[in-house]
Amino acid sequence: MTDGRDDEERAAGPAPVVAFDSISKTYANGTVALRDVSFSVPARTIHAICGENGAGKSTLMKILFGLEEPTAGRILLNGQPVATATRDFAGRHGIGMVHQHFSLIPTLSVTENIILGHEPRTGLLIDRAAARAKVEALSRKYGLAIDPDAITGRLPVAAQQKVEILKALSRDTRILILDEPTAVLSPPEISELFSRLRDLRDHGITILFISHKLNEVRSLAESVTVLRAGQLAGAARLADVPDNMIMQMVMGRPVEITRRQPRRMTGEPLLALFGVGLASRDPADRLKGVDLAIHAGEIVGIAGVDGSGQRGLVSLLTGAARPTVGSIRFDGHDMAGASTARWRAKGMAHLPSDRFTQGGVPALTLIENAIAGTDGDKRFQRGPFLRRSAIGAAVERMVRDYSVRALSIGERLDSLSGGNVQKLIAARELATEPRFLIADQPTRGIDVAAAAFIHTRIVAAAERGAAVLLVTADLDELLRLSDRVVVMFAGQITAVLANEAQLTPERLGPYMLGLEGMP
Amino acid sequence: MNRILLAGLVRLAITLSVIAAVILAVLIPFALPHEHPGAVIAAFLLGPLSSLRHLGNVAEYATPIAFTGLAATIVFRSGLFNLGIESGVFLGGLAATTAALLLPSFGPFTPLVAIIAGAVVGSLSCIIPGELRLRWEAPEMVTSLVLNFAILYAGVFFLNYYLRDPAAGSLMSYRIPADAKLDRLLPGTRLNSGAIVALVACLAGGVWLYFTRSGLNLRIVGQGPVFASHLGLPSRRIIMQAQLVGGLIAGMAGAIQVLGLYPRFSWTQLPGLGWTGIIIAILARENPFYVVPAALFLGYLQVGGDFLARDIGIPSEVVGLVTAAIMLTVTATAIFQHPAVLRLIRRIRQAEGTR
Amino acid sequence: MTDLISIVTDPATFATVLRVMTPLLVAALGILISDRAGVFNLGMEGMMLTGALAGVLVSAWTGSAWLGLLAAIIAGGLIGALMAVAVNGLGANLIITGIAVNLAASSGTTLALFFATGDKGMSGALKSGVMPSLDLPFIEDIPGIGPLVSGHNVLTYAALLAVPLVSIMMARTPFGLRIRAVGVDPKAAATVGISVKLIQLQALILSGMLGGMAGAYLSMGYVSWFAQDMTAGRGFIAIAIEVMGMATAWGTLAATVVIAIAETSAITMQTFGLPNELMQMIPYVVPIIILTVWTARGRAKRAAHR
Repeated sequence: MTDGRDDEERAAGPAPVVAFDSISKTYANGTVALRDVSFSVPARTIHAICGENGAGKSTLMKILFGLEEPTAGRILLNGQPVATATRDFAGRHGIGMVHQHFSLIPTLSVTENIILGHEPRTGLLIDRAAARAKVEALSRKYGLAIDPDAITGRLPVAAQQKVEILKALSRDTRILILDEPTAVLSPPEISELFSRLRDLRDHGITILFISHKLNEVRSLAESVTVLRAGQLAGAARLADVPDNMIMQMVMGRPVEITRRQPRRMTGEPLLALFGVGLASRDPADRLKGVDLAIHAGEIVGIAGVDGSGQRGLVSLLTGAARPTVGSIRFDGHDMAGASTARWRAKGMAHLPSDRFTQGGVPALTLIENAIAGTDGDKRFQRGPFLRRSAIGAAVERMVRDYSVRALSIGERLDSLSGGNVQKLIAARELATEPRFLIADQPTRGIDVAAAAFIHTRIVAAAERGAAVLLVTADLDELLRLSDRVVVMFAGQITAVLANEAQLTPERLGPYMLGLEGMP
Repeated sequence: MNRILLAGLVRLAITLSVIAAVILAVLIPFALPHEHPGAVIAAFLLGPLSSLRHLGNVAEYATPIAFTGLAATIVFRSGLFNLGIESGVFLGGLAATTAALLLPSFGPFTPLVAIIAGAVVGSLSCIIPGELRLRWEAPEMVTSLVLNFAILYAGVFFLNYYLRDPAAGSLMSYRIPADAKLDRLLPGTRLNSGAIVALVACLAGGVWLYFTRSGLNLRIVGQGPVFASHLGLPSRRIIMQAQLVGGLIAGMAGAIQVLGLYPRFSWTQLPGLGWTGIIIAILARENPFYVVPAALFLGYLQVGGDFLARDIGIPSEVVGLVTAAIMLTVTATAIFQHPAVLRLIRRIRQAEGTR
Repeated sequence: MTDLISIVTDPATFATVLRVMTPLLVAALGILISDRAGVFNLGMEGMMLTGALAGVLVSAWTGSAWLGLLAAIIAGGLIGALMAVAVNGLGANLIITGIAVNLAASSGTTLALFFATGDKGMSGALKSGVMPSLDLPFIEDIPGIGPLVSGHNVLTYAALLAVPLVSIMMARTPFGLRIRAVGVDPKAAATVGISVKLIQLQALILSGMLGGMAGAYLSMGYVSWFAQDMTAGRGFIAIAIEVMGMATAWGTLAATVVIAIAETSAITMQTFGLPNELMQMIPYVVPIIILTVWTARGRAKRAAHR
């Protein structure tokens, strides 16, 4: 990137703490994750790394943390080139990382998690007193209060994140990487986290903060690097650039949402939930007092931070869970606690969020995945036997209609790319002409063309008269497709909004964070 | 289809060369101290092929383990690691003997009745751990492992108190009546009509798994349990169905083994055929169509071992070492998922794919 | 009835329970270590068998029971190392590897016995050693307790001592902590610089060493010879015991006591004319019942929690 700035900094003071020099990463399967990325991070700053899903942020951080080896390029720490991906790379170079999915062992105590890998010893045993003292000292120093003896898995998520941060700091850490740390937190917890991170910076720690939330980046970081499709899209001091410029760097185009003409539905809804509650051990599944209606032909989008109850809602409507209270009616039938088979018989179809465990069997062929669940379909079976040629012709047609790219329909599902897997699943689920479609993160992690294709199919299903529930973390997608937007927070509905031109991600924000609309 | 076949052949070739290398690696240390090391290897590898009678012996060995290999394949395909097949064989043999001794003769149908009795009783060994797992989540691998021994002792008790021939020197049943025995197919061997049943059973198992709706559903439940529940498939029923079928086949294996080979029932230890069945299932990559060649291959090794014991004086247990080494290598991802192998296979498929 | 009471209170009964317990306890502790490291050792049966033979052969050749024990422990450890290489080096399936170890040990010990003695079945021709019994000084003189506690095989004491040692090792040493971490989440453990393969290798070696020791007790304590497949499924009962003991050292001890009492009472009951074979079933039926009751209760508890 801007070599000029590097020179400037070199002239101004010590070498940057971290410098990436022409880093490229190509995976064994041919995916190019990073292409010639270079930038540097000055010491004692909070530096944000932005980009869409799949832009290469996580791969880059894994390389810095020593989990992945770059295909080309170097990393310089304090001006010195270092060998990458060696054993205990991060520990030796004072690099700590707070992973998006915590790398804590749930069955161990807080202290055990923090000292794991560098345990203080007395003789053959762990020096428990020293370990505990160390955790307490760290916790005091950085203002991260925690019970050192608690079993980690029983702590709430925000406390576990503190443990993760303490663990990352416990080894004389100079550089701390945080991968989307706010995704699991509530707004007050986020501001608490941010002030702790500022304290850390003041203690001399350099922080790399990965996020795709602009408001967070602006409130926390001093400078930002933007990645797009594995390449450097820009870098700037945040004070120097307006939001829309960063947005443009992230998206690679001016952000403008082309939404479909939303339709106002009247009359009896096809699906109706009244006062539905779901109790669960996992707070991310809990629901409270949910009222929701979807008409035939209507697309209702669910917005919300990850873990706001979307999963619980989907499990109720696919027969995976039974509501604790409330009623669920579909097409005049009481469906509270109905089995998956009953929901399917009533015309439910489901594009699940986890394609390879919920959406298909990786080890089976495209043919087998495509006809799974069509039991009793006379086109595909004669008595107990499958009609191989009829099935082959039907699946060939599905593959063609949904432009699934595969060598042959006899290939295993896991030989396909994510986008093609999703297209095949969509082909199967929509082949039944469903009356009720649940699309759960339907385009997450797939390429733009495939995503656009899936979108047209979801809209087509609605236009054929299906009630569609769209659950997505991608607000762009949400606003493109939905007729109405329902916002959830902490298992409750905080807003039901018509998808009109004035509805923007910014307007949804306060509802998604529970700042508005909480009963 | 051609390129898939070709890529499959590459895998087969790698498998065969790995197996050949393993056989030689295990045999050579035993052969070297000998005067003619080559003769030792030749006796092992060529002996089984030297006459029709020895080929018959191969098939004779292969018969029960083809059954247990099929049973293991079906049980494992349901996703449960149920090891009850081992005692299913024992129970099947015992029950078939009991039926043959205690029930009146049914003329030409006597063996059939005895085999059905063996299959039904034998299936308990797989049904019980399966039911305990599905109903109460008891780990099926552990419960089936110890249940094998519980069934063994229960069976030996039954043998001792109800079937024992006091005139016989050791603990064994009365003589099995002649009309309950299976027809011998090849003079000089104990190859019997059970071999034909085994072949048919494996083919039927393959047709079930790959050509019917319920076979497809079984494979979905076993390999994608979460997906199966998202589809709304009746997973519990499908899993239990597989335990039942696997258990029936295991029981049938024991029944056919006893009625086909032995004058009396005299097992007082687990026969080990269930464990061999697991090996077969693994060699056959859990595909019933491949169970027959895999069983014939192990039968071939066993007859080769007999040659070693008879002609050279090396105990036939050397076959166990060979088999164990083969088990480790044919499941080794370091060989079969090696990047070079995967690249080669991908290249073959794509080269022809872009024709 | 008075017969029964006198048997229960007889020091000989106590000694029988300890004799039955010793190999099961040692083997189950070995399985525990492997299980907690995420490499469940289904090959325990084979390790015990190999240890039993190695002990007999080496003690016969050297004339020292202690060298025999050492050889048994080394042989078990080697098999553990081999399993680790197969699983983490070759990428073979863990369960398959365990089954292969059992098969190879069953055949291999028979072959080795044949080449050593010319006999495939028994080692009777060999003058092999026996591990000594230990009379505990002072304690043996305490009336009542003394005769109960003193005078057992040295390996029995070693087995009992192994329980607190394994417990402390798992709970309080860096190695134990790493084993527990690797067993629950190997990826997370690797992020702090722990070598998962190394920990699993060490755990399997340790597991194998305990297996070898359990086998040595069978052929040099329980009896004084080796016989083909003499472990007779004890490695599998040890698996059931470890699972019943919920993978903790003290739980394993408790489960071993339950199984050993069941087996001992089976032996005792035979003297009352009850069928031998039915009594032999007891130690195999008890774990099935206990495991089922526990998992069923655990599920009920979880359901209540929801």
